[in-house]
Amino acid sequence: MTDKNYRDLLGGLLVAAIGLFAALYGQRYEFGSLQQMGPGFFPILLGVGLLLLGGAIAAPAYRRQGAPIRVEWGTGALVLGSVVVFALALQTLGLVIATLAAVLLASLADRNLRWPGRLKLAAGITLLTVLIFVTGLGMIVPLWWRF
Amino acid sequence: METLNNLLAGFQTAMLPVTLMYCFIGVFLGTLIGVLPGIGSLAAISLLLPVTYYIEPTPAIIMLAGVYYGAQYGGSTASILLNLPGSASSAITCLDGHPMAQQGRAGIALFMTAAASFFGSMIGLALLVAFAPAIAELGLELGSAEYFALMALGLVAASTLTSGALAKGLAMVLLGLLLGVVGTDVSTGVQRFTFGFNGLAEGLSIVALAMGVFGIAEVIGAVNRPREGQLRNDRISLRSMVPTRDDVRRSWMPMARGSGIGSFFGALPGTGAAIAAFIAYAVEKKVAREPARFGKGAVEGITSPEAANNAAAQTAFVPTLTLGIPGDAVMALMLGALILHGITPGPLLMVEQPELFWGLIASFVIGNLMLLVLNIPLIGLWVSVLRIPYSVLYPAIIVFICLGVYSVNNSSFDILQVALIGALGYAFAVLSFEPAPLLLGFILGPLMEEHFRRAMMLSRGDVTTFVDRPLSAIILGVTVAVLAWAVCRRTAAVLRRREALRMAG
Repeated sequence: MTDKNYRDLLGGLLVAAIGLFAALYGQRYEFGSLQQMGPGFFPILLGVGLLLLGGAIAAPAYRRQGAPIRVEWGTGALVLGSVVVFALALQTLGLVIATLAAVLLASLADRNLRWPGRLKLAAGITLLTVLIFVTGLGMIVPLWWRF
Repeated sequence: METLNNLLAGFQTAMLPVTLMYCFIGVFLGTLIGVLPGIGSLAAISLLLPVTYYIEPTPAIIMLAGVYYGAQYGGSTASILLNLPGSASSAITCLDGHPMAQQGRAGIALFMTAAASFFGSMIGLALLVAFAPAIAELGLELGSAEYFALMALGLVAASTLTSGALAKGLAMVLLGLLLGVVGTDVSTGVQRFTFGFNGLAEGLSIVALAMGVFGIAEVIGAVNRPREGQLRNDRISLRSMVPTRDDVRRSWMPMARGSGIGSFFGALPGTGAAIAAFIAYAVEKKVAREPARFGKGAVEGITSPEAANNAAAQTAFVPTLTLGIPGDAVMALMLGALILHGITPGPLLMVEQPELFWGLIASFVIGNLMLLVLNIPLIGLWVSVLRIPYSVLYPAIIVFICLGVYSVNNSSFDILQVALIGALGYAFAVLSFEPAPLLLGFILGPLMEEHFRRAMMLSRGDVTTFVDRPLSAIILGVTVAVLAWAVCRRTAAVLRRREALRMAG
């Protein structure tokens, strides 16, 4: 337990910040009137709502105990990284390299896996991916790099 | 008579070889992800959404629906064998299902849950067929004010009746509505919140949003989550699945009660299969002659909730198909798939797309029969699936998510969108916000804004139109009541906790 409920405190502030941003950024669209609503009406309304709700979440959390925030930084970075690597490699290096790289990177997150296992896993998933998506579904995607 | 004719036409659609194939793919994948703990039907349906671009709307919806109710069947397998729920709605099945397995009655438990699932589905389906046309007719009478009110009710119910804090659920709904604003405004053509990206002119991709929040964010949380439970090494033979006469005798009434409870809560917005299963279990325990048997392998403790969650999975389609108002995030995804195909969900759906509506209904019967075969003679297959470790699964899931999103527009930008939304989704998950209301808000957002604008235009800017129209006033009254009830419940819980702390201190 922590002295404050940091989950709600941080979450409320995040929600309020998004709301504030939407309400301010929405100013650039015409607000209109209740009878003739402009494109800015609904987003500004939502922004103000989020701002209020964020406050309602954060304020009581300041005086309440809570469970500590637990973030899997490493896992998060590896999984998101593997998605980004796949996105960047797919059209440049081709499906095979992109899949191998993404699987190897993602599998680093699992503490129970060793290197021989990882390599076998990457090879297996790559084979499966090519068979399902390219051979089976006929998806048009470069398999290898082109120079 | 008309219903019968419609149903017959529906069977003609559903029996086409192509449709049968997609129905089978749906229920097969549904059972698979239902069996596997750590992947929910939301993630699986999001994964399949891109595929639906390439096929006709009717088989597409039939397949997605198959995933949903198939998962209700598969979910109980892990509950019984591993004491680990394969999906949220079969969490309660662990209570008596796992003790049955420990007593060497795993086969019977698996058979009885499959049978109860089928029974519940058929009851729910019968009620769906009976009530849907009438509700759709009623829906034709509704104006924009009523639609706005109904959507508000759905969103409030979905965000407050689930677990978690009230304000946080509502915040996720509003955030979803806000994300729905991104893109070109339908009434004025103004591009909103696109930040100069052409890729955002048509709005955030529903596929990217669903996969980011339910795929990537969930994987990050699940990789190193400790997994308890050891799979027992006994073979499930067909012979071991034959229930005793006592098992069958004890199960009739619980199955009937469970089906009724499930059908009711499934049709209401916000309460889905999981809540229905919990309530069915609680009711069974209350009416039982020997409540002490529960938790120690009582067969009623698995047949009633399994009938309930399957009945709920069928009746959940009532508001979605008749009014175009989804009760939960899965139904919201179904609506999203319909919208992707240019079909406007609503009371006219049954009239304008009879082959879709009745074909879907007929496919439920066929799909449930397929599930019965998949879950009884082929149970051994699923037991071996349970032996696949998560470390093998999740890298494959990541690659499939990326390729699925890419396939929609052949765009790597969309994959990057998934990474960004996944990061945001994980951040909210870490801070214990529920992701489902976000998706519901996102899909209902544009519809809600349109009805709000139209209602205000018709009333010449008079907000009282929402309370002057009797039906709209009633619906909004119920919405306020749901909110008030949630606030009361929360306050009571806080007060109780303070009391407990004072007693302890």
